[in-house]
Amino acid sequence: MIDTVQAQSDDRALVRIRGLTTVLNGKVVFDKLDLDIPRGKVTAIMGPSGTGKTTLLKHITGQMRGDAGQVWVAGKNVAELSRDALFELRERIGYLFQNSALLTDFDVFENVAFPLRQHTKLPEVLIRNIVLTKLQAVGLRGASSLMPSELSGGMARRVALARAIVFDPMLILYDEPFVGLDPIALNQVLKLIRTLNETLGITSVLVAHELEAIKQVADLVYLIANGKVVAQGDPKSIADNGSPWTSQFFGGEADGPVPFQYPADDYAEALGFKQGAA
Amino acid sequence: MSQRKSYAVGTGLFIVLGFAALAYLATQTTSVVNSHQGASYTVDAQFANVGQLKERAPVKVAGVRVGQVESITLEAGKDVADVKLSIDKKFNQIPTDSTAVIYTSGLLGDQYVGLQFGTAKNYLANGAQLVLTRSTQPLEEMLGKFFGAGGAADAIGGSYKVTAHFTNIGALTVGAPVKMAGVAIGSVSDVKADPVKLDATVTMSINNRYNQIPDDSAAAIFTSGLIGSQYVAIQPGGSPNSLKEGDQLVLTQSAMQLEDLIGKFLVSGSSSGSNNAGGNGNGSSNQPAGKH
Amino acid sequence: MSARMGHENVVMGSLAQIGRCGLFLLRILSATPRSMRHLTETVRQLWFVGGLSLTIIMTCGLFVGMVLGLQLYHVLAIFGGTSATGSVVALAVYRELGPVVTGLLFAGRAGTSITAEIGLMRATDQIAAMEMMAVDPIAYVAVPRFLAGLIAMPLLCCVFCGMSIFGGHLVAVDWLGVDNGTFWSNMTANVNVWDDVINGLIWKSLVFGAVISLIAVFQGYTTAPTSEGVAYATTRTVVASSIAILALDFVLTAFLM
Repeated sequence: MIDTVQAQSDDRALVRIRGLTTVLNGKVVFDKLDLDIPRGKVTAIMGPSGTGKTTLLKHITGQMRGDAGQVWVAGKNVAELSRDALFELRERIGYLFQNSALLTDFDVFENVAFPLRQHTKLPEVLIRNIVLTKLQAVGLRGASSLMPSELSGGMARRVALARAIVFDPMLILYDEPFVGLDPIALNQVLKLIRTLNETLGITSVLVAHELEAIKQVADLVYLIANGKVVAQGDPKSIADNGSPWTSQFFGGEADGPVPFQYPADDYAEALGFKQGAA
Repeated sequence: MSQRKSYAVGTGLFIVLGFAALAYLATQTTSVVNSHQGASYTVDAQFANVGQLKERAPVKVAGVRVGQVESITLEAGKDVADVKLSIDKKFNQIPTDSTAVIYTSGLLGDQYVGLQFGTAKNYLANGAQLVLTRSTQPLEEMLGKFFGAGGAADAIGGSYKVTAHFTNIGALTVGAPVKMAGVAIGSVSDVKADPVKLDATVTMSINNRYNQIPDDSAAAIFTSGLIGSQYVAIQPGGSPNSLKEGDQLVLTQSAMQLEDLIGKFLVSGSSSGSNNAGGNGNGSSNQPAGKH
Repeated sequence: MSARMGHENVVMGSLAQIGRCGLFLLRILSATPRSMRHLTETVRQLWFVGGLSLTIIMTCGLFVGMVLGLQLYHVLAIFGGTSATGSVVALAVYRELGPVVTGLLFAGRAGTSITAEIGLMRATDQIAAMEMMAVDPIAYVAVPRFLAGLIAMPLLCCVFCGMSIFGGHLVAVDWLGVDNGTFWSNMTANVNVWDDVINGLIWKSLVFGAVISLIAVFQGYTTAPTSEGVAYATTRTVVASSIAILALDFVLTAFLM
C-alpha cells in the first residue's frame, strides 16, 4: 500500500491521508480516515464543530501525530520526518491561524518579514521588496508601520496571509478564515484565496463552516463527521447527495446523525423516575 | 529597523552602565585604592607604630580635615613606617616643626593623623619631611594616661620604683595606673616573669610626692568595671617605715580571673540557693495548711 | 493543571513542578547553540528585561542605602563607631541586600512580564505560529529571555549596590556628618574584592538571575492558554521566585563562606 501511495504522490494529490486513527483523551477523533488533497485546487474540509478539522491540519503540518496510519505530504511521511526535515517541510507550507497569531512585538512589516529574517540572509533591500509585494497583494502596503493591536480582525487576517505566502509556499492551510469577519472583509479574504490559488497555483486547504463562502471558492469539499469522511464532491452538488449527514449539515437541522443531546445516561433514571428505582 | 536600533542603543547603555557600576564598586569601595581629591602636596612622616592607620584615612589640623593618608610603607631594613600625607594645596602654611600624631576617633573609631602646629616660620612644601611624630599608642597606655598616671607626669615630679610579685597579673600591662584610695599615684613601668619563683614581677614607678607609703602595704590587681582595664591598687599597711626605691611589696593579691569570679559568684549563689530551697520547703509545707 | 494540582499532594506537586522545570532547563540549554542566530532578539530582550528595570532598581537601591545609613549611624553612634557606617553599608549590600532585593524586584518587574508575555504568546497561538514558520520557539522565545535575565541580573545588582552606597553616603556623610575620607577608607579597608564583590555579589546575582528567568520562562511556556491561566502563571512566577531566592540565598551564603 505504501508503494502505491508513493507511486501516486507525484501526480494528483499533494496530501494523502491513509488510515489515520487518532485518539485524544479517550475520544476517537479520526477513525481510519482516508483523504486526498489534490494539487493546485482549493479543497474545503467541513464538518460539525468538534470533529477535529483543526486537528487534521495539525496532522498535516506534523504538529500532532496520529496513533495509526500515515500522512503523506509531497511524498513524505510526516510522522517519520526528523525535526530538521519537518522544519524544512514547514517552510514550504503556509498556515493561516484562526486568530491570525501575529507577533505582537513587531509591526506589520516586521511580521511579514519575520520568516525571511529567520530563514534567509537576504539583503535588507530585497526583504523590503518582497514584503511590500506581499503586502500589496493583500492590499495592506499602506499599513506596513501599524502594530498588530491597531488592526481590525479582517486586516490582521490579511497580514497573516501575507506572512503565510512570503515564501511562496506549495500549500496553504486556512484554519477557519471566515470566522468573525463582516461581509466586506469576508469577501476580501475570499477573493484573496481565489486569486492566490489561480495566479500562483498554490494548493489550498480550507477549514470552514460557511457553505455560501465555500461554494464560491472551493473545488472540492470533504464533509467529516465521527472521524470519517461522510461525503465528498464539488460544493454545488454535495448538499444533494442524499446522505443523512449532508442533509442535516447543509440543511442546518438541529437533530439528526449529529445528535442534539450530548451522550448521557438515561434521562428518566437521572431524574429518579425510572420504575425500577422506586 | 529603527525600532531595532533603538533597542540596541538602549541595551548598550544598560550594559555599559552595569559594568561601570561594577568597576566602580570593585575599585572605589574595596581595597583597590584610588585617591581622588583636588590639587595637593605630599609630605613624609615616619612613625614607630602606625597601629590601625589606613590609607585614605584623614589628616586633620585642629580636628578639621586638610588631607588624607596617601600611602603607608615599610622600608626594608628599617623598623619605622613611612607614611605619605597628601595635604590640600589650600593649607600650605603648616610650620616645618609641626608634630604628626596618630589619634583614634572615639573608642572604636578609626585612626587619623593629627597635625599639631609648631612655631617655625618656614612652611612645609611638597616632599618635605615631618620630623616630629608621635606614634599610635596602645589602648592600655591611653587608658593608663586617662587614669592620670602618665609616664611623663611621673618624670616631672621624679619617681621611685618598687616591685611586687603576683602569681597572676591577668591583663595588666605596662603603663597601667597604680592607685591608692582610687587616686592614681604612679604607673606600672615593667612586667616580667620571674624565672626562679615562677611568678610575675611587676615594677611600679610611684611619684615622689607619695613617699610616705608604709612598707607593709599590700598591692592588689583590680579591674575598673567589667570591661575596663586593670590597675594596681595599693592598700596602706600600719608600718612606721615608708617605701623606698627598690623596695618590694610582700603582700599581694593577684588578678581575679573572670572564670574565678564567676565561680565565686556561682558558689555564693548556690549557698543562697540552698537557703531558698529551705524557704521553699517551708512554703510547700505551709501550702496544704492554707488549702485546708 | 491548577485543578489537578489541588488534588495532588502539595509536596509531590512541587517536586513534579521542580522536575518539569529542570527538564525545561535542559531543553533551554540544548537550544542555546541554535538560538545564537537570534542574537538580536536576545539584545532586544536584554533591553526589556534589564534596561526597563533600571528605574525601579536604582530608586530602591538609593532608599535601601539611605535607610541603612540612617539606621547604622544611630546604632553605631552608641559605640562611637560611626566611622564604620560606610563599611557596614557596603558589606550588607554586597553580601545580602544587593542580590536578594534586586532578585525580588527583578522577579516582580521582569519575571512577571516575561511570564505574561510568553503566556499571551501561547494563548494567541504565536508560539504555534512560530513552529509553523519553522522557527523553534524554545530557541527564539525562551532562550533569549533566559539569557537576558542571566546577563541583566548581575548588572542590575551592581547598579543597585552603587546606588545603595551613594544613598548611604548621602545620609551618613552629607547629612549626619561622618567624615568623607573615613567613610571610604573604612569601606575600602573592610571590603574585599573577591570575597564580597565577586563571590558575594556577582555569583549570587548570577544564580538568582538564572533561577528567576528560568522560572519565569517555564511558567509562561507551560501556562494554560487562557487569561486565567496567564494570571495564575504570573502569580506562580513571583511566589516561586521569591521562595527560590531566599532559600538559595541561605544555601549560597553557607556554601560561599
